[in-house]
Amino acid sequence: MIDIQEKLKEIGPYVEAPDDYMLVCRCEEVTKGEIRKAVHEGFFTIEEIRRYLRSGMGLCQGQTCGKLVKGIVSRELKVAPTEVEPAVSRAPMRPMEMEILAEDGGVAHE
Amino acid sequence: MSRVADTIIIGGGVVGCAAAYYLAKAGNSNVIVLEGTKSIGHGGSSRNGGGVRQSGRDVRELPYAMYGIKNLWPNLSEELGVDTEYTQKGNLRLGKTEEHLKKLNTLASNAQSVGLDVRMVDAKEVKEICPYLADDIIGASWCPTDGHANPLTTTLGYYKRSLEMGVKYYTDAPVKELRKIKGKVRQVVLNDGTVFEGESIILAAGYESREIARTVGVDIPMTRLIDEALVTEMQPHMFDIMLGTAGGDFYGHQAHHGSFVFGSDSGYEVVTDMKDPSAMETNSLTLSASCRAIMSYVPALKDAKIVRSWAGWLDNAFDGVPFISRVDEAPGLILACGFTGHGFGTAPAVGLMLSQMVAGEETVVDISALRYDRFKPIR
Amino acid sequence: MKIERYDMIVVGAGPAGLSAAIEAAKRGIKPIVFDENQRPGGQLFKQIHKFFGSKEHKAKIRGFKIGEELLAEAEQYGVKVVLNATVIGLYPEKEVTVRIGDEVKHYKGDAVLVATGAAENMVNFKGWTLPGVIGAGAAQTMMNLHHIKPGNRVLMLGSGNVGLVVSFQLLQSGCEVVALADAAPRVGGYGVHAAKVSRCGVPFYLSHTIVEAEGTDHVTGVVIGQVGPDWKVIPGTEKHFDVDTICLAVGLSPMSQLLKQAGCKMADTKGGYVPVCDEDGATSVPGVYAAGDVSGIEEASSAMIEGRMSGATIAEYLGYITKEEKESRVNELEAQLDTLRQGMFAPKNRGKLVEKTEEGIDVSMNLLEKGYVAQDEIERYPGVTKSKGIHPVIECTQNIPCNPCQDACKMGCIMIGKNITSLPAVDSNHKCIGCGMCVASCSGQAIFLVEEDVEPGYGEVTMPYEFLPLPEVGDKGMAYGRDGREVCAAEVTKVRTSKAFDHTNLLTIKVPNEMLMTARFYKAK
Repeated sequence: MIDIQEKLKEIGPYVEAPDDYMLVCRCEEVTKGEIRKAVHEGFFTIEEIRRYLRSGMGLCQGQTCGKLVKGIVSRELKVAPTEVEPAVSRAPMRPMEMEILAEDGGVAHE
Repeated sequence: MSRVADTIIIGGGVVGCAAAYYLAKAGNSNVIVLEGTKSIGHGGSSRNGGGVRQSGRDVRELPYAMYGIKNLWPNLSEELGVDTEYTQKGNLRLGKTEEHLKKLNTLASNAQSVGLDVRMVDAKEVKEICPYLADDIIGASWCPTDGHANPLTTTLGYYKRSLEMGVKYYTDAPVKELRKIKGKVRQVVLNDGTVFEGESIILAAGYESREIARTVGVDIPMTRLIDEALVTEMQPHMFDIMLGTAGGDFYGHQAHHGSFVFGSDSGYEVVTDMKDPSAMETNSLTLSASCRAIMSYVPALKDAKIVRSWAGWLDNAFDGVPFISRVDEAPGLILACGFTGHGFGTAPAVGLMLSQMVAGEETVVDISALRYDRFKPIR
Repeated sequence: MKIERYDMIVVGAGPAGLSAAIEAAKRGIKPIVFDENQRPGGQLFKQIHKFFGSKEHKAKIRGFKIGEELLAEAEQYGVKVVLNATVIGLYPEKEVTVRIGDEVKHYKGDAVLVATGAAENMVNFKGWTLPGVIGAGAAQTMMNLHHIKPGNRVLMLGSGNVGLVVSFQLLQSGCEVVALADAAPRVGGYGVHAAKVSRCGVPFYLSHTIVEAEGTDHVTGVVIGQVGPDWKVIPGTEKHFDVDTICLAVGLSPMSQLLKQAGCKMADTKGGYVPVCDEDGATSVPGVYAAGDVSGIEEASSAMIEGRMSGATIAEYLGYITKEEKESRVNELEAQLDTLRQGMFAPKNRGKLVEKTEEGIDVSMNLLEKGYVAQDEIERYPGVTKSKGIHPVIECTQNIPCNPCQDACKMGCIMIGKNITSLPAVDSNHKCIGCGMCVASCSGQAIFLVEEDVEPGYGEVTMPYEFLPLPEVGDKGMAYGRDGREVCAAEVTKVRTSKAFDHTNLLTIKVPNEMLMTARFYKAK
């Protein structure tokens, strides 16, 4: 059980940092500051942060920034990076055109 | 640390978070929300296609669906301080056969009877509204006041705002049972034994509500059904309307960000037997089937790349409309579940009504048709 | 809808996947291997350097040659490799959906081996998204597969083996590597790799990280700075370099998404997000296996052994061999893997400072902190001896599992012994004939031939040389020390190339006698 308000008190308020402007998720143009701030607004999981900011939701699906975001979130939460669960993996493993995905030998229903 | 509150809400989805927000807004911020997983909005709230529509709904739902669109959605982003991406540019429900049109006609006249502006349009008008659609569409129903929003930011917006207003949230707090104290449902016991206590208990935990309600002798007549959705990479802006079909092939829209979000199915869903339901695995057939469905109505998207697909559980009520109701034999308990895959668009109105039920006020519209005990044997 | 069925499906035709498929095919299985690339071999075909290890690990063979051998073996045993085949998902009942051409095909395997390898890590600094900031792996792909120079002036971040090897390859391709930086206080990769970069004149900046990539629409410069104990840059320590390319070699992350999608139990480890596997590579999902970097970052040699182990394990799982047959094969492979995991760079020593060699000799701190062994340190190692006639000088100062030099010398001058990680020693009882086989065989390019008094006051140094254009006899230039600084004028007296040297040319230069233990590289004027 995680008491969100308790945890927010524990980690203290968001304090601006000089490198907050830096892009972390380049596919969706999410900055380090946005991610840091979101943690202090009560978004503690990668799942929530993805949904709130779109980090890791673009073309590469977090292949590039996943580890970086995890590092930032864990530092804000004052926990080890291994305690921050990465996002789940879903098909398709690579971006793929609808026209190609549609051709799997199945027949469209009417 | 107080584990006693005026209201305990079980389920940190869009309905639970909205209820918490409207309670706090009315000055009742002594509220605790318990989310069973580690993330707010982990269930259907973040897995749906974002429709905010009235057309196509059961007449029992229409009054509060219309109320929400008229009174709550327009200012929601401003109220929450989070962009919900609410877009009210209409909904086309497409038909390719005479049978489809017949079905759409019936839905439209039912909706018109309770005052909704929805009408039938022909193939030519369909193309005028959305030029990207397929040529074999022969007609559609058109509801100009329908629209869509971003379910992710809406759910998290309700969470963020209510948290700021003092609502207490607990995640990773799965509920094991409800307990009555002197005949009234007061206690909520977690798997780890922690006990929370409140005057009112709102049960808004999707399909999991059924197991929880059973612990005080109430069975909610619903089942669960898996459903899938997918998202494309960013596309140039094409259209703002929400799309659906008479045949239920797919639904979806283009998000502000440029991606298209669609929900569809392969037909295998009804026999899905997932070893671990919490895994919410996608099916190997559905991604391809969904693309065929989408392309047959929006051929212009054939080259759009899918970047991800996902699945989520619907909590399907036996008759397709939710249970939003106090429970006579379990005083203190308020149900808000069984949304059957179309709860997102009505969540603001439902949240507001739940806050009114807690306060003992009359709800903004009459929802007596959504009682928990409406199931009657068919013979 | 059709589902094609196979005993064994392998995802990834890299060293692990191919080795597994070959091993299984030898037992009678007909595996199918999918790879999203247009060529098989994974990273092997980017590896133009000679591998370390012993004969059984294919030591002193260049990576791409190992790749060719694997492919030939795969063909010999009838392994079906499907290229340009992108796996979309791994579903229950071991179903794999694959994009092949313009369609999607469904396959089911009784066993599925995921050998998808790893992807490069990134770091954030101001300007990291500018064109010109690239991964070291990307630089390798450009150079070694597509024959494109990644840039002209390059800064490398990362002193692990990838950073060191790629720096050397950048130099070989004609780039100028202006500096090699690493936030860590010590060089992470093999000392011999560092030494060969260092003597070419690349300065090492340990405890330094990138402050900023400069430029508006592409990289025009870089600023690095020294990091303090809190990993933050100490103000005033910033250094600027004009570069057009910044190469990042900051580690790899397993591409384990497919295993995660399949519902395999995962673990978040220091080596990345990996499936929880038993010793044979079986994941928590029955019939789903993992091998190679996807199950924990190592290198190609161990990936190939792990792949073979998975192949044998799957052969037993599918009833093609008995448990005893599998165990005896796995034990044999495990022994090979164990030798690879010995020495100073063994997984158990990761992050630790090893101060003494197995022989009890002090490790060169200059090598760890600057990238080269200092003049006053070199003579304490057993491969470095002085004698009148021609003899090898083996500047191998760290215990790594590698021994081709011992076999290369037909005269018996070089001794490593049974322990593969021991430092090579020169046995002066055996007479060196100056054949140069040891020089060419050393994957670390750490062996030199030295001969005093070839003519009055002058001697000769023979060194491994892998640059073009190849100098010619009579060319005059400068000799450089281990630290990459000019030491004296030098004249090329011999240039030897031979098939047996496998593209490592032997360059002999004439320098004054007193420079024989200093001159380690040559550049034309």
